[in-house]
Amino acid sequence: MTSYFLKRVFYMALTLFGASILIFFLYALTPGDFVDTSPKLTAERKLELKAMYGLDKPVVERYFIWMKNAIQGDFGYSLQYQQPVMSLLNDYIWNSFLLAITSTFFTWVIAISIGVLSAARQHSWFDALVTIGVFAAMSLPVFFVGLLFIKLFAVDAKLFPAGGMMMIGSKETGLAYAWDVVQHMFLPVTVLTLLSVGTLTRYFRTNMLEVIQQDFVRTARAKGLKEKVVLHKHALRNALLPAITLLGFELPALFGGAIITEKIFNWPGVGQLYMQAFSVRDYPLLMGFTMFLAILTVIGNLSADLLYRVADPRVRLK
Amino acid sequence: MKKRLSQIISTLLLGTLLVTGCSSEGSAPATSTQTATPSTEASAPAASKVQDIKDGINLATDLSKLPEAAAKRTDTFIAGLTEPGGVFNPFFYHNGYDGNVTSAIFESLVDVDATGKPVPKLAEKWDVSPDQLTYTFHLRPNLKFSDGSPLTAEDVAFTLTILHDKTYDGETDIFVASIKGGREYKEGKANTIEGIKVIDPQTIQITTEKVNAKSLVLLGGQVLSKAYYGKEYKPGDLEYLRTLHGKPLGAGPYKFEAYIPGQEVRYLANEHYYAGKPQVEHFIYKTTEGDALQFIQTGEMDYNSFTVNSDNIEQLQELGYVNINLYTSSAYSYIKFNHSKPFFKDKRVRQAFIYGLDRQKILDLTYQGYAQVANVPISPVSWAYTEDVNPYAYNPEKAKQLLDEAGWKPGADGIREKDGQKLIVHYYTTKGKLGEVLIPIAKENYKELGIQFEAEMMDYNAVLARTEKGDHDLASFSTTMLIDPDDGVDAFSTKKGKSGFTGTNGYSNAKVDELLEAGLSTLDIEKRKAIYKDLYKELSDDPPYIFLGYRKILSAHNGKIKGLEPNPFTGISTSLPGIRIE
Repeated sequence: MTSYFLKRVFYMALTLFGASILIFFLYALTPGDFVDTSPKLTAERKLELKAMYGLDKPVVERYFIWMKNAIQGDFGYSLQYQQPVMSLLNDYIWNSFLLAITSTFFTWVIAISIGVLSAARQHSWFDALVTIGVFAAMSLPVFFVGLLFIKLFAVDAKLFPAGGMMMIGSKETGLAYAWDVVQHMFLPVTVLTLLSVGTLTRYFRTNMLEVIQQDFVRTARAKGLKEKVVLHKHALRNALLPAITLLGFELPALFGGAIITEKIFNWPGVGQLYMQAFSVRDYPLLMGFTMFLAILTVIGNLSADLLYRVADPRVRLK
Repeated sequence: MKKRLSQIISTLLLGTLLVTGCSSEGSAPATSTQTATPSTEASAPAASKVQDIKDGINLATDLSKLPEAAAKRTDTFIAGLTEPGGVFNPFFYHNGYDGNVTSAIFESLVDVDATGKPVPKLAEKWDVSPDQLTYTFHLRPNLKFSDGSPLTAEDVAFTLTILHDKTYDGETDIFVASIKGGREYKEGKANTIEGIKVIDPQTIQITTEKVNAKSLVLLGGQVLSKAYYGKEYKPGDLEYLRTLHGKPLGAGPYKFEAYIPGQEVRYLANEHYYAGKPQVEHFIYKTTEGDALQFIQTGEMDYNSFTVNSDNIEQLQELGYVNINLYTSSAYSYIKFNHSKPFFKDKRVRQAFIYGLDRQKILDLTYQGYAQVANVPISPVSWAYTEDVNPYAYNPEKAKQLLDEAGWKPGADGIREKDGQKLIVHYYTTKGKLGEVLIPIAKENYKELGIQFEAEMMDYNAVLARTEKGDHDLASFSTTMLIDPDDGVDAFSTKKGKSGFTGTNGYSNAKVDELLEAGLSTLDIEKRKAIYKDLYKELSDDPPYIFLGYRKILSAHNGKIKGLEPNPFTGISTSLPGIRIE
């Protein structure tokens, strides 16, 4: 186990190193840099600024400077925001996380329940309805549902706020603030959940169906166990195993921000920050954020593997 | 609104990403227009439901429809703004929206009116020496920063000094004003700037080395407090300022209260403001992206700008309780020629490219009539604007004739040739409405002339990078907000325009160079008017660009807000001190 873990950590470092090269050169080779995107500067001033920001150095040298600082935990200053990249991400990333973790929670709870139910009653009208509903939800574009919800629930019915994370100018604190945020979360979380629940439901339904047909479930049934126990204890547990891997992959998505949803609902998340940074080629911010996601992906992967081993002792990791 | 082209483009790109349903509600002050000149018949807005909208402020028709949330608000004005970035220092921000945020906090010595002419603000008056090299600013008596500390000529001197620092990385180019001794200071050869002299706390004298009509507004910019921003200043080190970007202190109508990233910037009325404390106690810039109209509809927001199109105007008119403001932007859009390409060396070819392109049709289809064809590199809102140039109305026959004269004869396949070279041009543009409309029309227009027009749509930065390298024959851009007429033409100078954003890739005309110099070498607006008129004529005859259009800017605010008059150069910031809520 320990040697396995160490090996994995070594591969992780290697993967990250590869990722960092890829990320850096991808951004460095995209046409235009931060100074170029500024229309007001004279050619002479541009050269001065490039020198000041170190953009005039050869790409390879820039990579090593960046790398050296990054290893020491210094991702530099965002050119556009003039703030350390990490503190800037800190301003936005938790808002995205809040939205993502809530909708992920609801997505999983709903998907598991519907998946199990519809698998248990395969070919029933409920199953058919779910299948149709799932396809419908999956085929709707997020901006459409988002705008429709805003029109229906915010502008016309005035049930929920149209966007943002709190009432404009609100100075509430404590519970009143939390309640304000919950109200603002309602529509975006609903939209996100609605649109992602489909895929997951299909996944669980298929898994359940597969497991239900296996011998040990038949054995359990033959032993005279109640259908509920068979489904929830024997089948579900086994059907959920592959979900651990899925959960591992979700980790970066929790921090990545749902760009379009955040934009439609004016949610102060990291997605908008990222788009903004990309349009002006704010390299330190772009690289810092992408690297952060790469690290999360690798960690997510590793923890999924380790958890899988805990959950299913048959899996031997070498 | 001060904003950079890149932001406009990115907003537009995001807008397209979200498909039309959403982008119509985008908060982009991205301009657009209704044709101001009645001479163009084709300018009727596409949708007939839109009632006539005049330039200026169209008053609300039915204030009783005002949503409860807006009606209840009596001491707060809430305006929408696309993502500010948190660098709230007028000389250090790199994001145009931060400029909007800072302009409420910092006041300048000299501002510009709605036609771009200088008007006094913190400076009561100014004198310019007969040789037009020395400026003496007389500050108003008893000026104070919002913390109550005095604002004196020392603060002005300090502000100008740090702009000369060698580690200054903002976008203000103080060297345009050529203050005496400025270079020496930057290079570390002097401890102070020779040309800056504080006469007394209320008077500052600035000596420059070169007459430049743009210097007045540049020197009379916003003022930083020396006591606050200068405490730790040592020449060659401005790092420490970063920590103050989020805690601005100025002498503007409002003082900074709080910034919540991605959400809003809050302000309080400044009791020390020179023209008196603003009547509206609270002011908020709310970050908006795609939901500006929704916030106006629910009454949570008082003001925002919108993409100009008949849909948005119609929706705003239906609300009834908003004043709709429509005004021409101070920017212009253009297609630049790559003058280093042999076929564009002959001005007749360039003229043919203008005559042969139906610009009116392109603008009408793109902006539904809310844009006007441009023939001079300055917006109709400026004092320097003139219509006394060749209008280059669409005329394919004339274009063909010019191409014939230039020696480009139709070849066997219908494409014109000269010296064995075919007239095939490559055009680069960004993704967006204008490109989508322009490309098919230009292709057809130019095909008729015997020109093969190859278009490519790409990311804004890619267009920039490729045109800088000179890869293109033609490429589209739009300028930023232009205050001085020189801002719209400086790229045409042989000294400047080799490349770069506004560059021309090799345009060269001695007469233009001379007139450009002349335009800056006097501060007398009447004299300058005459010079620019000559310049525009010359540019019309020997065109550096295909001038495309001036768009309009659409904004709306609820009818309860009085005294708000958006200005094409400064947006709402000039109006801020005088706003009332009724």
